[in-house]
Amino acid sequence: MRASAASVELAGISKRFGDTVAVADLSLRLPAGSFTALLGPSGCGKSTTLAMLAGLLAPEAGDIALGGASLLGVAAERRPVSLVFQKPLLFPHLSVAQNVGFGLRMRGLTRRDIAPRVQAMLERVQLVGLGARRVGELSGGQEQRVALARALVLAPRLLLLDEPFSQLDPELRAEMRALVRALHDEATTTTLFVTHDRAEAVEVADDIVLMLDGRLAGHGRPELFYCAPPTLEAARFFGVTNEIVGSVCSGCFRDRSGLAVRCNLADGPAVLVVRPEALRISGTESPDSLPGRVTAARFAGTHLALEVATASGALGVHVPVDSPVQIGGHLHVRVPAEASTAFMTKQPS
Amino acid sequence: MGWGRPLLALLIAGLLLPLVPLLAWAVSGQWRYPGLVPQRLSGRGVRILTDPRSHVLSGVFTSTLISVSVAALACAIGLPAGRAIGVYRFRGRRLVQFLLLAPVIVPGLAVTLGIQVFFIHYGLAASTLGVVLVQLLPTVPYAATVLGAAFANLDLDYERQARALGSGPVRTLVFVTIPLLRPALILAGLFCFLISWNEYVLTLLVGAGQVQTLPLLLFAAIGSSDTTAAAALGVLVVLPPLLLIGLAGRLLAGRSGAAIGLGRL
Amino acid sequence: MPSFRSSRLPRGLRITLLLSPAAVVIGVFFLGGVSQAVAQSFGYQPFLPDYHWSTDAYRAIWLDPAVRASLLITLRVSLASTVIAAVSGVAAALAIRGLRRGRGWVTGLFQVNLAVPHLVGALCMLLLLGQSGVIARLTLTAGLSTSPAAFPQLTGDRFGWGIIAEYAWKETPFVGIIALAALSRGVADLENAARVLGATQWQRRRHVTLPLLAPPVAAASVLVFAFAAGTYEVPYLLGRSYPATLSVVALQDYRDTDLSVRPQAMAVAVVITLLTTVLVIAYLALAKRLSGRPL
Repeated sequence: MRASAASVELAGISKRFGDTVAVADLSLRLPAGSFTALLGPSGCGKSTTLAMLAGLLAPEAGDIALGGASLLGVAAERRPVSLVFQKPLLFPHLSVAQNVGFGLRMRGLTRRDIAPRVQAMLERVQLVGLGARRVGELSGGQEQRVALARALVLAPRLLLLDEPFSQLDPELRAEMRALVRALHDEATTTTLFVTHDRAEAVEVADDIVLMLDGRLAGHGRPELFYCAPPTLEAARFFGVTNEIVGSVCSGCFRDRSGLAVRCNLADGPAVLVVRPEALRISGTESPDSLPGRVTAARFAGTHLALEVATASGALGVHVPVDSPVQIGGHLHVRVPAEASTAFMTKQPS
Repeated sequence: MGWGRPLLALLIAGLLLPLVPLLAWAVSGQWRYPGLVPQRLSGRGVRILTDPRSHVLSGVFTSTLISVSVAALACAIGLPAGRAIGVYRFRGRRLVQFLLLAPVIVPGLAVTLGIQVFFIHYGLAASTLGVVLVQLLPTVPYAATVLGAAFANLDLDYERQARALGSGPVRTLVFVTIPLLRPALILAGLFCFLISWNEYVLTLLVGAGQVQTLPLLLFAAIGSSDTTAAAALGVLVVLPPLLLIGLAGRLLAGRSGAAIGLGRL
Repeated sequence: MPSFRSSRLPRGLRITLLLSPAAVVIGVFFLGGVSQAVAQSFGYQPFLPDYHWSTDAYRAIWLDPAVRASLLITLRVSLASTVIAAVSGVAAALAIRGLRRGRGWVTGLFQVNLAVPHLVGALCMLLLLGQSGVIARLTLTAGLSTSPAAFPQLTGDRFGWGIIAEYAWKETPFVGIIALAALSRGVADLENAARVLGATQWQRRRHVTLPLLAPPVAAASVLVFAFAAGTYEVPYLLGRSYPATLSVVALQDYRDTDLSVRPQAMAVAVVITLLTTVLVIAYLALAKRLSGRPL
């Protein structure tokens, strides 16, 4: 039952539908046995990429390789790839056990061989005893478990999941995420999990692949996207709201109000981004701080969300709940060089 | 699937083929065996249709009158019934739905033979009214089913909104409910019209041969030796259904419930 | 419509009022007609003073070889045309679905003969399949036959070929568009799911597409069978008077000037009704057992 996980390599994959480009020149490599989240907003090409990996769509350009061997030209039904769709897509005319054993039956295994594997799989997804149920009698969560079991019983070398829990309510979603993670850790299949929810991606995956507008916008551990986002768009997707426009000159970012922050970017116009929780407030001035006035302070449960008006625009700052700030008060906002990132821009500052 | 496309073409050709001799005979003057095309074309077929002695024009009038009345009456009866099964969930609803469909499935012959004698007794036999009434049998179930499905999809909030704005029940029905149901009403009315237009046995039995609708005339013409007359009449009978279904084609798209009525034509 | 007059009508009463016109039509005409036919088959004669209940009519038709032959030809014709219509309709629907371009107008063409009334269809078949009809003339021209009599008798024949042809011709698009409607409802997604699970095209067809098509096609086939078993015009025009189908026999007996034959006409009509009702009940029971999904 152990799957021999395979590495996945996409090289220059492109796909268009009519005039719209769904995926443009996508290249990425997933190590064997990894658990990667494919993250991005709706319409960014994630599902299309998955469909191409599964063989339901053919790319117009580029290559797809599984374990080093190209998959182009291999029909979907012959690829050692399993795909769990957004909807469970269980066969309504078959029972739960027959659904789970479907793939094995297509491969020609006899009923005697299929039954124990189906039973074992149902145990792993905690659906013991439901084998004889008909599909219409299941809840949403149970249906997705059956879909998972159906995909995993085939011991695929690559497991693809296309936002499989987006139709379930939040507690169930958390449960199912944990289940998928546990199943992966047991079987170590290479897993690619598509989602548009960045919190989900961060929680469940080891690595994140970010796709924006059909292109690769970043690939790495979740920490990377928070501390050192690869592009401005990636930073924005991950919730950065503070952007300070300025320019870089000999390793230092400066803006018009006198802020100076170290960075290693080539000279030229740039924008500096920093997360609200990374900004620090203090009473003293320093080269990397901006003077400002607090215009709003909202209690947000775990922190105070401040809005500070500065010469470089309004900045959002998260501070501990017991910080001594008041609306209208003056303070300095420090921008730590290690927690901020600068990106080159084309417009002059 | 290399064999799929040519087989489909063959099937479609086969479906359209039988209509060809009908059209050819309708316009032929002389078409003796073994000619593959008529030896002589003529407008005799058309002339027969317009000849008052052949009663075709009065047949058109009778058929149209009956079919329009049946369509209107069936929809008027089907509308409240459809509301009952579409809007309310009540015990026995499934039974009612089944009973509603029974006249569609069970052949009308047995039913009509049974009540024929009552039509005679109450003086409804050999009358247009009697024929209209008996033709409600295959049409009301269909109207109720189509309108029932439409009511099930109707958002009642529109009506409640109208009532809240001061509209009385009749005004609400006329100005809110019926316009919202318009596609389904058109569909139901259309099919009731066509079912009635094509009906033969019920008209024969209750009309006792006195109420001469087009199907009755056609039946007689087929039995006669005048093939051209029969074919011309056949084309006349087929034209309104073809036109109406063609026009309503867009309404039919995606409504498999409508298809059930088509088998009845 | 009385139900709208007062919104304070109790619910049960409102439903009853809404259903009442339709209930009158169905109750009086349909149920009344069927029960009258049953009663009259047992000898009941409304509006006549002297009648007596008996099972003579049923005994007569049971013993009558003509009726047995009629039952046989009715079943044969209905079954054959239903099977042909179901197979051709499903095949056509699958082929149409596989079309990449032109699906719209092909579907339109496919549905043309749905509008043609059965009466006209019977005429078309006579003109096409008769021994001096168009096909006969084509075979003569092609040298395959030498005279009208040499062309096989397809209309007015013992087997009922002409009748089968007309029913199959009319009902294939009927089953076809029901199958098409069923195919458009998410079947493609399920086929994709099967594909990813390793099913080849043939396997997908066999294990996903056809099982999903089975319930609506079966329902349509029941309708086709019931209709074929009960119509009058087509078997009268395209068949012969012996053996005639049950509906033709019923009508013939009904119009017989000998009124004592009338109960037999009713008995035959009751047999037709029983046949179709049993069929529908059997189908509903089977459908519930197999999938639990309604049409």
